[in-house]
Amino acid sequence: MTNSIDEVSDADLILVIGSNTTEQHPLVGTRIFEALEKGAQLYVVDPRKIRLTDFAHAYAPIEPGTNLAFINAMIQVIIEEDLVDQHFIETRTENYEAVKASVAHCTPEWAAPITRLSAETIRQFARTYAKTDKAMILFTMGVTQQTTGVKSIRALANLAMMTNHVGRPSTGINPLRGQNNVQGAGDMAALPNYLPGYQWPEWPETKERFSKVWGDFSCLRGNNIIQMFDLMDEGIMKAMYIVGENPVLSDPDQTHTIHALEKIPFLVVQDIFLTETARYADVVLPAASFLERDGTYTNTERRVQLIRKVIEPVGDCKPDWVIINEIMKRIGMTVDYESPAQVMDEINLLVDSYGGITHERIQEVGLQWPCPTKDHPGTPILHVGEFKRGKGLFTVNDWELIGDQRSEAFPFILTTGRVTHHYHTGTMTRKIWTLDREYPKGFVEIHPKDAADLGIREHQEVRITSARGTITAPAMITDRINEKTVFIPFHFAEIPVNRLTGRNLDPIINIPALKVSAVRIEVAS
Amino acid sequence: MSERRLYTLKKESLNAVLEIWNQQTPVYVPSGREKDITLQPMDEAQRTEDYINLTLPVKEMVFEQKEALFSWERGESGIQVENLAHRHAGNRILYGVRACDTYGIAYTDRFYLKEFLDPNYQSRRETVTIVAVNCLRAGKHCFCTSVGTGVFSTIGHDLALTELEEKYLVEVATEKGQDLIDAAAKWFAPAVSQLLQDKETLRQQVEESFPLKMDLTNLWDDMARTFDADFWLDEAHACIGCTGCTNVCPTCTCFNVVEEKQQEDRGERVRYWDSCQSDHFTRNAEHHNPRDAVSRVRYRIYDKLKYIEERFGYKGCSGCGRCTDVCPTYISIIDIIHAMQQTVREQATEPAVHQMTAMRHEIFDREINSRRGLYAPDVATITRMKQETPEIKRMFVKYDDPSLHEHYQHKGQFFQVTVFGEGEVPLSIPYGPEQQDELVFDFKNVGSVTEVLYQMQPGDKIGLRGPYGRGFPYETLKGRNLVFVGSGVAMAPLRTVLEPVLQHREDFGRVEIMASALRYEKLIYKEEMKAWSQVAGVTVHYALKDPTDEVKAHNGYVNDLLPGLNLEWQNTTALVCASPSRIKKVAKDLMTLGMKPSDILVTLETHMRCGAGKCGHCKVGSHYMCVDGPVFTYEEMMTLPPEY
Repeated sequence: MTNSIDEVSDADLILVIGSNTTEQHPLVGTRIFEALEKGAQLYVVDPRKIRLTDFAHAYAPIEPGTNLAFINAMIQVIIEEDLVDQHFIETRTENYEAVKASVAHCTPEWAAPITRLSAETIRQFARTYAKTDKAMILFTMGVTQQTTGVKSIRALANLAMMTNHVGRPSTGINPLRGQNNVQGAGDMAALPNYLPGYQWPEWPETKERFSKVWGDFSCLRGNNIIQMFDLMDEGIMKAMYIVGENPVLSDPDQTHTIHALEKIPFLVVQDIFLTETARYADVVLPAASFLERDGTYTNTERRVQLIRKVIEPVGDCKPDWVIINEIMKRIGMTVDYESPAQVMDEINLLVDSYGGITHERIQEVGLQWPCPTKDHPGTPILHVGEFKRGKGLFTVNDWELIGDQRSEAFPFILTTGRVTHHYHTGTMTRKIWTLDREYPKGFVEIHPKDAADLGIREHQEVRITSARGTITAPAMITDRINEKTVFIPFHFAEIPVNRLTGRNLDPIINIPALKVSAVRIEVAS
Repeated sequence: MSERRLYTLKKESLNAVLEIWNQQTPVYVPSGREKDITLQPMDEAQRTEDYINLTLPVKEMVFEQKEALFSWERGESGIQVENLAHRHAGNRILYGVRACDTYGIAYTDRFYLKEFLDPNYQSRRETVTIVAVNCLRAGKHCFCTSVGTGVFSTIGHDLALTELEEKYLVEVATEKGQDLIDAAAKWFAPAVSQLLQDKETLRQQVEESFPLKMDLTNLWDDMARTFDADFWLDEAHACIGCTGCTNVCPTCTCFNVVEEKQQEDRGERVRYWDSCQSDHFTRNAEHHNPRDAVSRVRYRIYDKLKYIEERFGYKGCSGCGRCTDVCPTYISIIDIIHAMQQTVREQATEPAVHQMTAMRHEIFDREINSRRGLYAPDVATITRMKQETPEIKRMFVKYDDPSLHEHYQHKGQFFQVTVFGEGEVPLSIPYGPEQQDELVFDFKNVGSVTEVLYQMQPGDKIGLRGPYGRGFPYETLKGRNLVFVGSGVAMAPLRTVLEPVLQHREDFGRVEIMASALRYEKLIYKEEMKAWSQVAGVTVHYALKDPTDEVKAHNGYVNDLLPGLNLEWQNTTALVCASPSRIKKVAKDLMTLGMKPSDILVTLETHMRCGAGKCGHCKVGSHYMCVDGPVFTYEEMMTLPPEY
């Protein structure tokens, strides 16, 4: 997030796009309710009539996969109606003119048939966003998991910059991270293309800096997860070590994923339970849960928070950092970490934004990075006064339609997501009776009109087929989903929706378009 | 105790007193800061005086989040069952409890310790001594003064301390409290009753300082008039079902029972706190849920503000405000009360019928046969299994302890049947009082427990608790015509009374048995019904959707057959077991024919779990279907909120 969670309560407009906030980030949802109490407006963009829409002042039931067209049209309206902040654009940013030219044709009338929204709805969103002083954008995977995911986020950045909604309280563009430590994992370079702190391996100073602490090491870019599974399938990648991830359920095109896992000569899976993925492993390393270890999590507002061990690890399991330590030793490396605090000392040394974040300082309340020095108070709002790169860069993001589209064979769009009571692939939540009881099995949400057309009754088994595969799921008939659109949660191994999703990737960073798959629906005989 | 004894304690002596108590019994004191205050053993934690209230009500010490009920072990000689109600931490003194929580304890005492005595609660409660420390300031959402449970503790404590400048006024409420005084006698000085006046003055000051004041005089009337108000939809839209509100409530008593199988041949049954705010609390195996999103959210509020008090005479809400504090979507019982009052002020609406009547049932105080306590079943052995229909089996069982058969009293309507390691299901008793030496059950394979039961063989062991529930009033049926209406497996509950009626045929008028199902194969008691139809004055009618060659049947609904019975309707009692919607349709037609709603007997087979009015799953309005029902008159049924 460019801004902080508490700032949501002071916003005058909250634009929620592709985020089921109350169900997936309930405590951020709480701040939305606080803002509404104070008179804020709530605008929601989502193909499902999520709970928030019951409280929204405007709701855009968008066609899945078309966020970019919607955002570009908002930008066009704002330019057309001269609602931009010229001073901010001139003093803080560059490349504005290129964007202006690129969206000239993106009128609401142009976007209407693409997004299946009315031109008036698009204008209303654009005007209110541009005219409201404290306007905050919240988004999640509903924006990112599309073939235009990166472009859409860059377009949101354009939108925020041209209206001076960056670097001030209760503004900004705010991705709500889906996991407690996904921010921290990224910061620490659980990414193929960076070293910790988003430092490019190609920079000479990066190599030099890390070599001082780590000694000589290979400093090459890796492959992302999609590429890795391709390399496994091609027989090029010979071994894989998976820590705390369950790709059999969470990655697209399950058939391909399983095929690759079966093929790879050596697979290690480290997790707290025997997951669907771990069943394919040659070696399973039992990891300790969050209650059984010390360390830090970095949350969605970049706040590094301390966690403390409540119980000793059960059985043979060990904290992840201990397991990794032991493996490093066994492959002949010298390691002398004795505690997570000691690992943090090294992070202080190598990652500038974490430079001043020590366990000692976060005993009571966490600190938000960037926090470069031991006396720095942390940074609740990014890009105040100046962008990290100096001037904010406007980018041209032309709309294009790639990946799955409706066709005669596959007339429906399938979108995936979660329910309140389960987390991700259910490795933990499906083992807890009180959560599993609430949603013991998966379902497919379908609009009453479509159900009537296809002769589908409530709870009836429905067959859903994409170009990749087929699954069946009981129907949940609801007008909370767009017509000709269906929704299936991905928590349930029995209804593995990722058997249907495809490997349509965002061309820039290869994130799979899990939110958009063309499917066909029929009653399962 | 006849009189309330008074003492004073110097403030600086408090620690010395706590130390003395702690030498004998662990003393738990408030510890932590701001919103995170918990009761901790004083040996392990720093005591604080700077707190408004405990984060969780003190109830968690006597009704723990997870408690073992019993263990079972399969051995050479059968299955051994051991009651685990007494497995807990032991004696404790709980210091620093506020009035809202002591009031909550007074209510939970009433709830758990009367009628079907809860052995787990009793065991924990006996070992706990509660020292209240009266509040001098209010939290943001405190409203005990509005509901009348505070601001100072009046009930539920053993000792109550009130801070009067340099000293505490100490009031003794129970013998347990006096024991504490006696244990540290030298620090306590007898006090003059004048101090009670000082306390009262202070109480008024504190009460006036409360920011939140509500006039709840007309609350029940306001509630009756806003049962169907529009604002409930907003509340329902906001609720994400996190169950935080019920987890922090001092008067929430519901629980769910879970099997924890440790090995193939042994395990435990445990209970956890459960919440009416989770969607599945009332949902059954076949998707039917008597509560939708609106009635789910509304039920909690009505239970707290009305149903509990209606039934037990105690306030169901002690005004602690915790539910409002914790709600992530700002659902507030306070705002809801305001919304009710405002709605009634702004628009005249008629009160909902089911919120006006004060139908009260005598609360059954039935002796439980089991010597192992309420939740531990008696072991029984299956003697025979019979395939009744393609989906229904009949099971004959005998208690392993033959004396249980000797003492067996045929009252009630159902048993709770345990499959060890799998769970428990309520099954109706399809036999009359003549059945002394064995018990018989008919069941359909619909859920995880019945699935295992379905596969069981003679010689296999099960567990039995019961009988529970209010059965059909056999004696009052004498001399009357009887119409039995049962659809599919629902004929089983009716057989409890049908059997003795046929045994004493001469005591009754005409007997009409109406069996309905989709197909003939779906009916139970096919052979029996053929036999019954041979008895003089007994007619069996069939209403089936699909035609059959087996019997003469009407193709259609059972309702179609009613007018043709040509009974003297004023002298007829109908006994109906079907889905609620079918019951309503049948009752409506019977009343058109001239029957009184009080002569139509129905059984409401809802989500019964514990059988004893404790777990809360089958509560409808202020009534527990398992204790007050499942048999009701149609007249009574119509006074229940439509959530069954």
